Amino acid sequence: MKRFRTLCKRMTILSMASMLSFSLAACVDSSSPQESASTTEDGKTVITMGRVTAANPKLPEGDTYENNAYTRLVDEKLDVKIVNQFEAEGEDYDRQVALAIASGELPDMMRVNSKEELKELVENDLIADLTDVYKERASDNIKEIYDSYGGRSLADATFDDRLMAIPATNGANAPNMVWIRQDWIDKLGLELDKDGDSLITLEELENTAKAFIENDPGASGNPVGIPFAHWLNAGDYGGSALTMSSVAGVFNAHPRHYIEDENGNITYGSTTEGTKKALGVLADLFDKGIIDPQFGTRTWDDIMALLTNGQTGIVTGPWHIPDWGLSAVREMDKNAEFVAYTLEGDNGKANVFRENPTGSFIVVRKDYAHPELAIKILNLFYDELGNATDLETDYPEIAKYNELSVDGSTRPFNIEVYKSTSTLDDFSDLILPAVNGETSIEDITKAGIKNDAKTILEYIENPENAETSAWAKYHSRMKGIGLIEKLTTEDTFNWTTPVYYGTTATMEKKGANLLKLEEEDFIKIVTGTEPLDYFDTFVSKWKKQGGDEILAEIEAELAEQQ
Amino acid sequence: MVESKSISARIGRIVIHTIVITLGLICLLPLWNIVATSFSSSEAVTANAVGLIPVNFTTETYKMIMEDAQFWRSFGISVQRVFLSLIINMVLIVLMAYPLSKSTRVFKGRNIYMNLLIFSMLFSGGMIPTYLVVKNLNLLNTIWSLVLPGAVQVFSVILIMNFFIGVPKSLEEAAIMDGANPLQILVKVFIPISLPALATVALFSIVGNWNDFFSGLIYMTKVSNYPLMTYIQSLSINIEEMLKSGANANSLENMMEVSNKNLNAAKIVVSIIPLLVIYPLLQKYFIHGIVVGSVKE
Repeated sequence: MKRFRTLCKRMTILSMASMLSFSLAACVDSSSPQESASTTEDGKTVITMGRVTAANPKLPEGDTYENNAYTRLVDEKLDVKIVNQFEAEGEDYDRQVALAIASGELPDMMRVNSKEELKELVENDLIADLTDVYKERASDNIKEIYDSYGGRSLADATFDDRLMAIPATNGANAPNMVWIRQDWIDKLGLELDKDGDSLITLEELENTAKAFIENDPGASGNPVGIPFAHWLNAGDYGGSALTMSSVAGVFNAHPRHYIEDENGNITYGSTTEGTKKALGVLADLFDKGIIDPQFGTRTWDDIMALLTNGQTGIVTGPWHIPDWGLSAVREMDKNAEFVAYTLEGDNGKANVFRENPTGSFIVVRKDYAHPELAIKILNLFYDELGNATDLETDYPEIAKYNELSVDGSTRPFNIEVYKSTSTLDDFSDLILPAVNGETSIEDITKAGIKNDAKTILEYIENPENAETSAWAKYHSRMKGIGLIEKLTTEDTFNWTTPVYYGTTATMEKKGANLLKLEEEDFIKIVTGTEPLDYFDTFVSKWKKQGGDEILAEIEAELAEQQ
Repeated sequence: MVESKSISARIGRIVIHTIVITLGLICLLPLWNIVATSFSSSEAVTANAVGLIPVNFTTETYKMIMEDAQFWRSFGISVQRVFLSLIINMVLIVLMAYPLSKSTRVFKGRNIYMNLLIFSMLFSGGMIPTYLVVKNLNLLNTIWSLVLPGAVQVFSVILIMNFFIGVPKSLEEAAIMDGANPLQILVKVFIPISLPALATVALFSIVGNWNDFFSGLIYMTKVSNYPLMTYIQSLSINIEEMLKSGANANSLENMMEVSNKNLNAAKIVVSIIPLLVIYPLLQKYFIHGIVVGSVKE
């Protein structure tokens, strides 16, 4: 009887094991026989895609992500029908990608949002090698665009000398700016930037803030000085609103970026001597009441409320902050006007870091029969359409889309591919001459830029009654990009290029905790809960809790690349 | 009720009332703030000026909702989902709870089924395996992907089962004496007597299905198929996280257009109306249980 029982047990275990292996086999099975490419009934090639959408694409009635002017253009020019395997935005998109990978059914083409994800796809051999199709099919203009990044952009998508993805470009290199209420400066008769180089010193900033606090030009009854976000530092330039990166720039420090120090060692920007000095300045300003006394507790919404209520008139941020942040101020106060400056470094320069040249990638599923179509779409949208001289006649539907300002996410590849200097070139070659009356707006060939120039002129002609959006465009372009252009022509920039933008294994595991440590300790130092020398304690804590490992990993990875 | 005149009782009542009213207000005020926000102008909302009274009263937001095709499409999907789920849930709950309420003598395999149920309550397959099942059944992007994965609400089954167990034996015996078969006993005796409990689980099902946004996120690969709560969830954006991890001019502008707080508040207000309507309809079943007085012992 006992033997029978053990036999039974063994049989059960055996059957369970075989069931498990069967189910595993089923997993492998279901993933491999994916069709190489399908065609529609009328012989068009089908591309299934993962599409990153926007919540408000402004598509005209009846058009969808799957069927719009752009997909119809692809249909017409390349004889290709685009079918969306999934569409979603933000995190939801990333989840859909993860689910597609898990279920073994990748779309033929999709966007991946990080280098890590791309690396995983490459390591698991799930995506196609695009080296040859790129070499053969990419147009000269496209190659020229990528070359303007000095190979940095393509290198990001290259593994073992093979190009595995089409990288999106991101050339927004610009200084963090200090935006100050111009109407308040005028009202109080303050004088800023006497030498006219658009750089102001920390002292000038302090005096202006002090004058704003003492005189309350916004008549709010409760002025608060300069607000900062409690996270103090962002991951990239675009997110740098309300951060300390402008102040850190004074000491040529670049918190949250991995840089090479003068000895050739890789360091973390938040742990440098320059960052310590910048925190010292902030702590001093906080002590004097120049910085918002409730720093550390205010949320983004709170700070936006301070601005719109006229309690503060100074914020730090990127060049585009008028478009999405400061516009609320003008909604409340018709007379509100801002001016942008950059803080002068102690070396007399504007110290800035270069942005990660690649944000996201387009990948093609391995075994997809037509990888060249990805390059053809790339050529069509970022060369042919981008350089089209007469949209109205050649692409009337697209021209209409531009007029309606339909979101760019409706294009098959929701990425940007432009030269590293394009924002600035568009401004100085196209917008500025048109605004100054040297050229006609109608001569501007790029549709988006033409719209920008039009709205800016609308504002200049009638600032009182112009729409808030025109006010915002005027500020972000004429004041924001204008400042970048001025500093570029006067050669005031001192660039730092971070050596690493990715995520290492330790960063994945411990990065969140380290960032929390950094944020909390920086708040403590600024608010004076801890003395400035506590910074050294922070640095040693940071190193001990994983920082050293991260630096070693980065060094190893960089050595491998060379 | 006997009126107690003693001071301590009176103080006690005051204390209890204060606690209840405070708790009620704590629940009500945030909701009311959303209502006030939905009727305020967007400048006032950005300036944090709205408390409990709308500032610069406007009904603009509600007019905008009227024209929002996606909102109403999602609304329709949610209504459909709740309706289907309610029927399927209730049928399955009753049909499962009744046999499970019998003793092992009557229903031999009862304990095995019971353990299976409880096992599924404690352990689930996890997100990705469930997704794979739904996907391989070709349910993605259909209303059934929202209804079928939640068809059996184990907790509700146990609740109803316990309620059935509590039903006096003599009622069932009387029905048998009258010649009723098991189905008749269930429909004519057990269901009418359990209306309060059934109304409760019906409410669970309605509220749970109406408020669930996550399954929509996973099983619907197109925004046009989102149920209402998934759609509303996709509108709420955490700008702080966005800035911290990295953003660009386009994404921020798009975010600004979407995070229209007073409009989103109005959407929330409209989205809770169906629940507000349903609750009073079900409430009458909660008030009186009819088990009391059905048997004279």
